[in-house]
Amino acid sequence: MNARQNQIQTLLRVDLSSGKTRLETLPTSWTAKYIGARGINARLLFDEVNAGTDALGPDNVLYFGTGPMDGLPIGNGRMSVACKSPRGTIAEGSFGGFFGPELRRAGVDYLAISGQAEQPVYLYIHDGRVEIRDASHLWGLTTDKTDAALRREFRDPDVQLRYIGPAAENGVHSSVIMGNLNNSGGRAGCGEVMGNKKLKALAVRGRQGIQVADYDAFIDAYHLYRQRLDLATSRDPWTPVWSTYGAPALVRLFAGMGNLMTRNAQEMGWEAEKAQRIGAEIYLEKYVAKAKACFNCPWPACQKIHVIPQGEYQGFRGGNYWAGQPVVFGSLIDNDDLDLTLILSGLCNRYGLDIFHVGFTLAWAMECFERGLLTLSDTDGLELRFGCKDHAGLIDLVRKIAYREGFGELLALGCEQAARLVGGGAEKYCLSVKGQEIEAIAERNMYMVALGVAVSEVGPDHTRWYPPYPCNPDLISRDELLTLGVDLDLRKAFQGRNPEEKGKLLRWFSISRAVVESLPGCVFLVRDTLGLDMRPWQQLFQAATGVQIDYEEFLRAGERVLNLERAFNVREGYRRVDDRLPYRMSHEAVPHFNFPPVTQAVLDGMLDEYYTANGWDLATSIPKEQKLIELGLEDVAFALRGSTEEAKQ
Amino acid sequence: MKRIYVIEDLCNGCRLCQTFCSSLKQGVFSEQARIWILKPPGEERDIPILDCIGACIRPIAEDGTPTCVSVCPTGALYYAEAQQAVELRLTWETARQLQPLFKVIAPWKWPFPWHTSEPAPEMESPTR
Repeated sequence: MNARQNQIQTLLRVDLSSGKTRLETLPTSWTAKYIGARGINARLLFDEVNAGTDALGPDNVLYFGTGPMDGLPIGNGRMSVACKSPRGTIAEGSFGGFFGPELRRAGVDYLAISGQAEQPVYLYIHDGRVEIRDASHLWGLTTDKTDAALRREFRDPDVQLRYIGPAAENGVHSSVIMGNLNNSGGRAGCGEVMGNKKLKALAVRGRQGIQVADYDAFIDAYHLYRQRLDLATSRDPWTPVWSTYGAPALVRLFAGMGNLMTRNAQEMGWEAEKAQRIGAEIYLEKYVAKAKACFNCPWPACQKIHVIPQGEYQGFRGGNYWAGQPVVFGSLIDNDDLDLTLILSGLCNRYGLDIFHVGFTLAWAMECFERGLLTLSDTDGLELRFGCKDHAGLIDLVRKIAYREGFGELLALGCEQAARLVGGGAEKYCLSVKGQEIEAIAERNMYMVALGVAVSEVGPDHTRWYPPYPCNPDLISRDELLTLGVDLDLRKAFQGRNPEEKGKLLRWFSISRAVVESLPGCVFLVRDTLGLDMRPWQQLFQAATGVQIDYEEFLRAGERVLNLERAFNVREGYRRVDDRLPYRMSHEAVPHFNFPPVTQAVLDGMLDEYYTANGWDLATSIPKEQKLIELGLEDVAFALRGSTEEAKQ
Repeated sequence: MKRIYVIEDLCNGCRLCQTFCSSLKQGVFSEQARIWILKPPGEERDIPILDCIGACIRPIAEDGTPTCVSVCPTGALYYAEAQQAVELRLTWETARQLQPLFKVIAPWKWPFPWHTSEPAPEMESPTR
């Protein structure tokens, strides 16, 4: 059988301007140094996309990266997509599904897409060959229709696809790349960049196998991994609920705990009956048709396919109802009709819109409308209030955002830019950081979330320091922690509204999740021992690649990735002042629960601790030269010298 | 004789069975296996198709269960004698009428007691 050795990683370059393609082999030393996926994407991006590059120009490069675990039973089909974001930061996201393993089986580990096509095109990669094909018949189609059209073309159900919808074609803020109908990735701007390159889709089919270095060791490590994730044996009490009911199970719980963003996070609690109506139990009972999974996931039903059973929208199909949808299209806009929640999120998938962009911008617009900053003449006659019952109007508004029509044109800019145009204090109601809308997680009740949202290089993204709500600290002993190199007081670290130890905990989560996303693996599967013990992943990595590195060095790879991403932002001019919180989170207390705001003084304390733990300069957040040299990133240290000196003046 | 049985509706399409099966002979993970998960366009069905009687060449589970069955997360594959197979199938069919959770997982894969507001109806296995 034709099998690929797992130590060698290949990069396929495609220049859409000239139509030229080239297959390269990456340095083998990179596997130990950056592992793969997110790590190697960060390295390539730092090397190849210079400071000040126009994100929406031919010089921006869009990278798709698999890694040494993709195609193996633990990669979970994750892959990383990265480019420079149109908002100026690094853009990196990860998606699941089946595309990553297929790309590796086709003989390609990384794709670097540069240039801009004149006419819409799609790429077809099969068994080491690549074709740039005309996509004018696909341009303008929604993602579900693109999927169907391409599948008709290939007549092979196992061709794997990634595509963009009309939103990305029209350059809508934060639009995503979609695949397997309901999997999305790259909300930090990757869809916009793909649309700008006039690249409608990627299609891939490969039949090579992937050989691991030590099969028996791999199977042993897999048993350990499964033991930690199986419903009966996982030490994390959330595992069984999480892997069947899924994250919407939290809605009802959070509504009573002060963790559920309601009416644009003006409040953090919601009526229990309302929360129940959009929660996981009713979803599973009345809507779910069947379970779905990403490639080789050990969990039974993290994803599901659903169908609206009755009423006006009977038969509307979709999938992947997770933590974001019940909040952004539920409590955040005060809607307790699950049909509407599923339709709005389903339409986002079909248009290729980011649910957090649409949800938070919609909620911002509702608040502005209620406060008189937007009027009926702005909203094309839509009474845009919280709890809006004009469902047809809201559904049409999502379409208008994707096609940038009427009032949709303003919302398509994202809430930060839109607020600037509206003025009159509208910025105070916009919940965004670094130009990107936040996610549905409670900053004022869980300070690690506040810190994580503020510092994230790509804009708010909880998967970079998952889990946001660590649970029982007694599951792991102090001695065990110390053997893992985690020197922190877990009790304090897990206290929600206590700023102590948050910087150190976040650093630990950030670097270990960078490792997971570089393998790649799914960050949700870092359960058991609270995601603090990465030894099973180290064993799997060694068995799969034959690269023998100790535990400390394994985690140092994650630290390198984090520093490279920070360095990319530093080179683009991002500094400590950009690591901030939305106005509401830093100035307004949570009513009823009496949680104080996370003031700048509190945030500053946590930032100091985080930067110190990382070896970054306190005044600027620039990684210190000594730290970069220690990590073997001398070239990065050299490249940042200008930024450091400029900051001193 | 024990065989591998399939509950199509419980298959979530993860392909763990296929990937592991492919590797048993040569240690190479691919799609070429004795089990194939057919995925018709539309993401709505996942259909396990077996070319195997369950004589697994290398069970990775200690109890000797065929590898594809032991790695299946939902219970869509199970390994049983003919009569036991009918009983297990009936257990699932009954359970899913009483508790929506069992739309996505077989009751023997759920590690906790479960209850329903209605008492379970009395049923007899058709093979008894």
